[in-house]
Amino acid sequence: MRSYLSAFRLRRKMELQYRGAMLGGIICQVMFGLILIALYRALYAGKPQALPLDHVVTYVWLQQAFFRMLLASDPDLLDKIRTGGIAYDLCRPLNLYGFYYARIMAQKITGSLMRAVPMLLFASLLPKGWGLSLPASVPALLLSLLALGLGLLCVSALENITMAFTMRTLDPRGVQAMLNLLMMTLSGNILPLTLFPDSWQKVITLLPYAQLLDAPIRLYTGDVPVGEAWRILLIQAVWIVVLTALGVWLWNRHQKRIVLQGG
Amino acid sequence: MKMLMKCQLEYPLSFFLQTLAQLVMEGGEMMAVILIIDRFDRVNQWEAGDLFFFFGIMSVTFYLTECFGRGLTGNFPYLIRTGQLDTLLLRPRGVLTQVLCSAVDPRRITCIAVGTVSLIIGCNLARVQWTVLKVLALAEAVLLGAVLILALFLIEAVFCIYSVKSVELVNALSYGGRSACEYPIDIYPRPLRILFTAIAPFALVLHVPAAYILGKPLYNWPEWTAFVCPLAGAVFFALIYLVFQKAMRYYRSAGS
Repeated sequence: MRSYLSAFRLRRKMELQYRGAMLGGIICQVMFGLILIALYRALYAGKPQALPLDHVVTYVWLQQAFFRMLLASDPDLLDKIRTGGIAYDLCRPLNLYGFYYARIMAQKITGSLMRAVPMLLFASLLPKGWGLSLPASVPALLLSLLALGLGLLCVSALENITMAFTMRTLDPRGVQAMLNLLMMTLSGNILPLTLFPDSWQKVITLLPYAQLLDAPIRLYTGDVPVGEAWRILLIQAVWIVVLTALGVWLWNRHQKRIVLQGG
Repeated sequence: MKMLMKCQLEYPLSFFLQTLAQLVMEGGEMMAVILIIDRFDRVNQWEAGDLFFFFGIMSVTFYLTECFGRGLTGNFPYLIRTGQLDTLLLRPRGVLTQVLCSAVDPRRITCIAVGTVSLIIGCNLARVQWTVLKVLALAEAVLLGAVLILALFLIEAVFCIYSVKSVELVNALSYGGRSACEYPIDIYPRPLRILFTAIAPFALVLHVPAAYILGKPLYNWPEWTAFVCPLAGAVFFALIYLVFQKAMRYYRSAGS
């Protein structure tokens, strides 16, 4: 376990190196947030909906703040597979799956926390109707944090599965782009899932993509009352088990058949 | 160009998946528009067909630029960082021409297709009466829109020359502009309107002619503005190009 923790720590330090890029990223995300909110405000002015505008605005801000968690990107591993550098990793006395799981987690947590904290501060300073509103209640906040953690486990497992596919196809961009885009659409980043037609929502919220951000945000705004939170947590737990099992199986299978590139 | 196409097709499975991914992405964006229309019906005076039209004209323009301007949008920071730009400087052609010709991105074709479909749906729903002038206005808007977007990517290149690393900040203007201007400009509050009219003139280049084609002139401006306003794109490009020239003179090689 300790070795996985240190893999986690090393990766976190790497992520902390790029502060300049981070500032640019934050400004970019804030811009996107403002544009989206302006759009929804205009739409609401024309035809108000059952869902309060405040919830939509909060949804947008939280999505933008944790945007980095959605994107799948670990160019290192992909390079390693392509250049043959993965041979070194195979020599480590570790389970590779766990090793990369820890790295992905570190990257997502550090990358997004550094962005999320200043962004959420900024968003909560904006006037009402534009800014982030407070969570529905204290238990709701705690539950949404728990759900965010579980969602993170879920998505990291999903990403590890794409890594396993990279071992086969060698050029990762296709699978990765595919995953990123499914994520963007089905996690509510392009359009809040709460604005999808009600019949669609029933299915989409069950998918693993919705677990990372949509589920915690619903708990935060109180769209899902605290009493029903167990259902969300249960769905997340089931996905974590299923995806991790599938990932471990694929890694073990592909690891045996991997062809080392380079010389 | 042919060689580049071949390179792209070297990894067929991955190429196929990437193209598919592009389709899913653009499809996803379009689905968002469909769902928004389904839920809200209309924004101010803009009805469903109008919204499809605005979305379509934006994505066709944007992805045309990305398809043929890939050399500038994707590879330029890499050229700077590795110092490969030096090779281009030695050849007896303009740097910009060479960079532009150095890459095409056929995967964007699916995105352009989605945009076109959206445009057609929009035209049908809004019952556009086509005239020669309107066709001309559309062609001018798309062409100059592409020039404008190219200019925005050129800003990024200029930043890149000075700072060696690529700057995400400019994305706020180019990609942010794309997201914002998929919808008609006059639904936004004043600061955003000024940003995308006066600074990055998406509204002048794309929205004024689009509104003219749809027969609902923006801000009730007269007809001739639909042909004059898009020229802002060309002016913008010319300005940025001057800055780019200056930056090229400043350029010092980073490689060894």
